[in-house]
Amino acid sequence: MIAFLLLPALLLLLVVFVGPLFRYAWLSFHADSVVTGLIAIPNGGANWLRLVQDQRFWQDLGQTLRFSGVSVGLELILALMIALLLDQRWRGRDVVRTLTLIPWALPTTVMALGWRWIFNTPYGPIDHFTRMIGIGSLNILGDPHFTWMATVWADVWKTTPFAALILLAGLQTIPVDLYEAVRLEGGNAMVCLRRITLPLLRPYILLALLFRLAQAFGVFDLIQVLTGGGPASSTESVALYAYWNALRFLDFGYSATIIMASFILISLICVVAWILLQIIIPTHSKSQAVVEP
Amino acid sequence: MTLQIQNLGRRVGKQWIVRHLNLQVDNSECVALVGPSGCGKSSTLRLIAGLDSVSEGEIILDQANVTHAPATQRAVGMVFQSYALLPHLSVKANLDLGLRVRGVRASERQQRIQAILDLVQLQDRSEVLPAQLSGGQRQRVALARALLRDPDVYLLDEPMSNLDAQLREELRPELRRLVLDRHKPVIYVTHDQHEAMAIADRIAVLHSGRIQQVATPADLYHRPETLFIAKFIGRPQINCFKPKDGAICAVRPESLFFANEGLPCKLISREWLGSSQLLYLDSPHGSLRLSCSTTMEIPETVHVSWHSSDEHHFDATTGRRLT
Ligand SMILES: Nc1ncnc2c1ncn2[C@@H]1O[C@H](COP(=O)(O)OP(=O)(O)O)[C@@H](O)[C@H]1O
Ligand SMILES: [Mg+2]
Repeated sequence: MIAFLLLPALLLLLVVFVGPLFRYAWLSFHADSVVTGLIAIPNGGANWLRLVQDQRFWQDLGQTLRFSGVSVGLELILALMIALLLDQRWRGRDVVRTLTLIPWALPTTVMALGWRWIFNTPYGPIDHFTRMIGIGSLNILGDPHFTWMATVWADVWKTTPFAALILLAGLQTIPVDLYEAVRLEGGNAMVCLRRITLPLLRPYILLALLFRLAQAFGVFDLIQVLTGGGPASSTESVALYAYWNALRFLDFGYSATIIMASFILISLICVVAWILLQIIIPTHSKSQAVVEP
Repeated sequence: MTLQIQNLGRRVGKQWIVRHLNLQVDNSECVALVGPSGCGKSSTLRLIAGLDSVSEGEIILDQANVTHAPATQRAVGMVFQSYALLPHLSVKANLDLGLRVRGVRASERQQRIQAILDLVQLQDRSEVLPAQLSGGQRQRVALARALLRDPDVYLLDEPMSNLDAQLREELRPELRRLVLDRHKPVIYVTHDQHEAMAIADRIAVLHSGRIQQVATPADLYHRPETLFIAKFIGRPQINCFKPKDGAICAVRPESLFFANEGLPCKLISREWLGSSQLLYLDSPHGSLRLSCSTTMEIPETVHVSWHSSDEHHFDATTGRRLT
């Protein structure tokens, strides 16, 4: 009976997820480009060998990891602070709660265009400001030292509300009397945060982390609009590279290989992140509870 | 060690949740705070514990005025109605947390936790999570945590309300022994008048945020100061006659007896209560409850009477006791 009810969902999953995945896996062992006249011809592991030796892929992978790691890390810390703040009772909280969601509700393209203007040299407000206070023009979108930070900044700005929302939902599941009980035991706010909030919030932190990691690793539209992968492909992500291979170089076989590789990698990253989080925030301090000084 | 509450009040917005509260609880004394739900019992405990701010009046604990001291600095042992055990920590870790926060050395912590677990008979459950415990066991962990706090005053907020009736009765003397052995003032909150009568040395009846009477269980039963208390304390409920000349006469069901002459009544129904039976009668003054021994044969129509000394008289408008 339950299997029957799940059938539509399973079918959908099969069509939109498993199907393409198998298709890509299959394609990654074929040459399929303008050279072959867009006909898939098995070429053994040639695509994969090319990937391993492709400098640009490794560079993009490094850049994608840097982007994901820094932006998801910042997001979670910011989101936790915002969620803790929005969970307190204060005048005007409900208005702020709603306002917080605006960045997230904006379409990425619109948001990225906005930031492109803000970061613009020499017409954007930031450039105006840095020149005004005497630092001079930073040329944010033209200097590879800064451009990746601009992409992180825009991503943090847009997706922190989402993470904050998940964490806020988590905070609201924690019964108030737990905090009161610990306060009566003499515990201060720090003890409450470490002993109650973080451990009980862990599933929600994990959820936000995995959601955001997977999303950030596949970043495409933000970078496409904000920097186009430049300058000198210094902000190019793996997804952008796969897109270019498919739609600019019309090399579908190699593009599929890049997509498969990034799928495998993101799965691994999620597992590692999950394990790390178990270690950072233990649910149970069973054995060490009494022994620790 | 005594707890003194003077003219205590808390206001939220324009509404007084509790007000004009006066109460003194001595060493080794258990005062039950009893009243229907929503009357302000928990609010009162929260004021004493420092979890809510006081709007008016004073709380004096062992001669020190703690009215505005933060909760972390009051030595208060509280058992929450929900027990408030940390769900992700084992029983042992739950008990350990407070000791660690207060800077007790590891070896001493170990020793004290062991001792308290022995006391509440949970030695073999020390490593399990609260979710794996029964209701009664959880309650004992919550109690153990309060005992470990070694507080100046114990506040128990409906500690039995999540337990079944039989377990409640079993645990009552044990709870009393465990807490009163500490020779500290105890406030025991319950909405169950029966439980209050059973466990407390004195009972404070709270109604709409005001204390109506503080008295021993026997005094409260035999000389209720208000009609509300007369109705609230004692089961089956007291009989109230229709108001006459601005006064309401009330008689307990067990004070009624059958007589050759008196109020003519018709038997409506009966309930067996084990050692007694409760009769519902229809009289010219309205319906009456009468409890009598189970062996008695009851005809369809009876005459009911009572001694005038068993009558309680209350003012019909204020509800205050008249005589
Ligand atoms: N923070 C608050 N704001 C407004 N009303 C409250 C607040 N806390 C409690 N109350 C009200 O105070 C009354 C007493 O509540 P409480 O002390 O919990 O009753 P109980 O006797 O059942 O423990 C209730 O009517 C409740 O609605
Ligand atoms: Mg209550």
